[in-house]
Amino acid sequence: MSGIHIDDVSRVFGDFTALEQVQLQVREGEFFSLLGPSGCGKTTLLNMIAGFLDPTTGRIMIGERDVTDLPPYRRGLGIVFQDYALFPHLTVFQNVAYGLKVRKLSKSEVKRRVDEALALVQLSSMAERRPHQLSGGQRQRVAIARALAIEPSVLLLDEPLSNLDAKLRKDMQTELKTIQRRTGITTILVTHDQEEALSLSDRIGILGHGRLQQVGTPLEVYRQPANRFVADFIGQVNLFRTEGVPFERVERYGRYYADDYETEAGTSLILETAAAPSETTGTFMLRPERIRIGDGGSTGINQVNAVIRHVSYAGDQVRLLVTLAGKGELIAVAPDPVFPVLPQAGDSVQLYWDAADVIPLPTEGV
Amino acid sequence: MARTSVVKRTNSFYWLLLTPSLLFLTAFLVVPFIMLIVLSFREVDSLLNVLPTYSLSHYTEVFTSGIYLNTIQSSLGVALLTTVICTLLAYPAAYLLVRTERPALRTLFYILLISPLLTSVVIRTFAWIVILAQNGLLNELLMNLHLIDKPLSMLWSMNAVVIAYVQVMLPFAVLPIATSMGEIQPKLRQASMSLGAGRVRTFFTVTLPLTLPGMLSGAAIVFSLAAGSYITPLLVGGRLQPLLPLAIYQQAVQVFNMPFAAALSVTLLIMVILVVLLLGWISKRWEARLRD
Repeated sequence: MSGIHIDDVSRVFGDFTALEQVQLQVREGEFFSLLGPSGCGKTTLLNMIAGFLDPTTGRIMIGERDVTDLPPYRRGLGIVFQDYALFPHLTVFQNVAYGLKVRKLSKSEVKRRVDEALALVQLSSMAERRPHQLSGGQRQRVAIARALAIEPSVLLLDEPLSNLDAKLRKDMQTELKTIQRRTGITTILVTHDQEEALSLSDRIGILGHGRLQQVGTPLEVYRQPANRFVADFIGQVNLFRTEGVPFERVERYGRYYADDYETEAGTSLILETAAAPSETTGTFMLRPERIRIGDGGSTGINQVNAVIRHVSYAGDQVRLLVTLAGKGELIAVAPDPVFPVLPQAGDSVQLYWDAADVIPLPTEGV
Repeated sequence: MARTSVVKRTNSFYWLLLTPSLLFLTAFLVVPFIMLIVLSFREVDSLLNVLPTYSLSHYTEVFTSGIYLNTIQSSLGVALLTTVICTLLAYPAAYLLVRTERPALRTLFYILLISPLLTSVVIRTFAWIVILAQNGLLNELLMNLHLIDKPLSMLWSMNAVVIAYVQVMLPFAVLPIATSMGEIQPKLRQASMSLGAGRVRTFFTVTLPLTLPGMLSGAAIVFSLAAGSYITPLLVGGRLQPLLPLAIYQQAVQVFNMPFAAALSVTLLIMVILVVLLLGWISKRWEARLRD
């Protein structure tokens, strides 16, 4: 078990910079996710950790060892590939034994460790099958067993669940987490699925435009995104752009107000925030589930009258897309029993929210 | 019901389209082939006139005379040697073809690879005579470099035959291997390396097994071409080399013993068919392991 230290790593392809000065410390035993949209550089970073790609600048350390110049077969990492990459000509047993035979272990030792790895992923009965005789989920588990059998210092997972259907993916997520807990192995998961990253990880690194935008716990990156990119990428969000709008501090309440704040479409409302906007603040964020339905008193602050444009009912929650005086838009999410009868498009609705839920975001990093 | 009749109609339409080529094949391949087999069982008198009676006498002679057994053996040997050398040389070439990323460069490699097939067999073979002869290019070069004192006798030997075979048959070995190599997911090699296997081990445990079908079909083509070629061994090996095609030519054109030439031809054909079937069987068995 060891941590990973990515020190100022950049990668340039021709005149395209895929990754720029990434500085990252993954702790020992941690479940860490690299999350980002496609093309953000997360696969590039994974390939450099694995040794399939050389960084243009910077160093990569695994534990105390500088592996920057080591070929992939000397790094001792376990990798689970997106499409599993099982050897089609070998049985499940031989696939899992592959890395052990390379290490010239005795036959009985190979057998013991393969059995152990297959038991860990609950596939002991499938040892003599070939990959084409297995379902997607089973192949996935063989791939995990194969990667773990060599007792790697670090486990790299490259979009391991993206080829599975929704239900199976949920099961495998739980299983992955259980296996990681039980083995205590430092794990890096590369994914574009924010829900997967949020529910599995100890910490998440969000990559966008070739830069590491934020590193934090799931709670931090969701509730306190470092910038607009992160806020927009993780979950759904309402953004109020406030460049040029003067904020006034009212000492009595210790709060900040933007009078006559104009939404993007030009409707004015009074926006109240509990957090001090800094000089770099260009945007405020309001999560849809923080918006409440009702009149919220008659203060006229942080409340709007809106017209519902679209209603979608997801069982556990109702999602509303509303327009403010026919111009700006907000997304609001309410838990299921809020409405006795589902509202219809065209209905009017009153919305309000707390000043504490209006979060200032710096503009940089966009 | 309506559906079956449509299928039937399209089927008969395909047969109609196939008719010209089927007729051609029947007239110029199947019929002569049957005639050849029939002829191989005809007896001959002492003046080598074909008699209306049938017997196995020619086959008995082929399989009992030391000369012809030796000919069969060396024909097999030369064809096998050519196949093995071609296959060994084909792997690096196929690797280069598959690994080349620039399309222009890859096209250039393909053209280079199939260029031996673009010249006629006679011209190509004469070129080997110019290179390998006593006063040929290779001997001159070696003498000028003072590597040898006397010119080496390279032409008119089995070695010359094998060299010339390898040159022209290499593309038939490379192309199927390159095709099956191109079908291997790059992720498999990465997986192998991540498990600790270096390049050499990855080649033998992943690339080689997965290109086996391509290798075998290439080997089948090279073997049958090498066993049946006639002009190349005649020109660079000389007409006295113990090779079945040369013996057949001798019997048919010089000795004029047509039934015996026919029996030798059938023997050669069966020999090639057996080897091709064997290779095909191994390949089928292997592929069944991968996806059944």
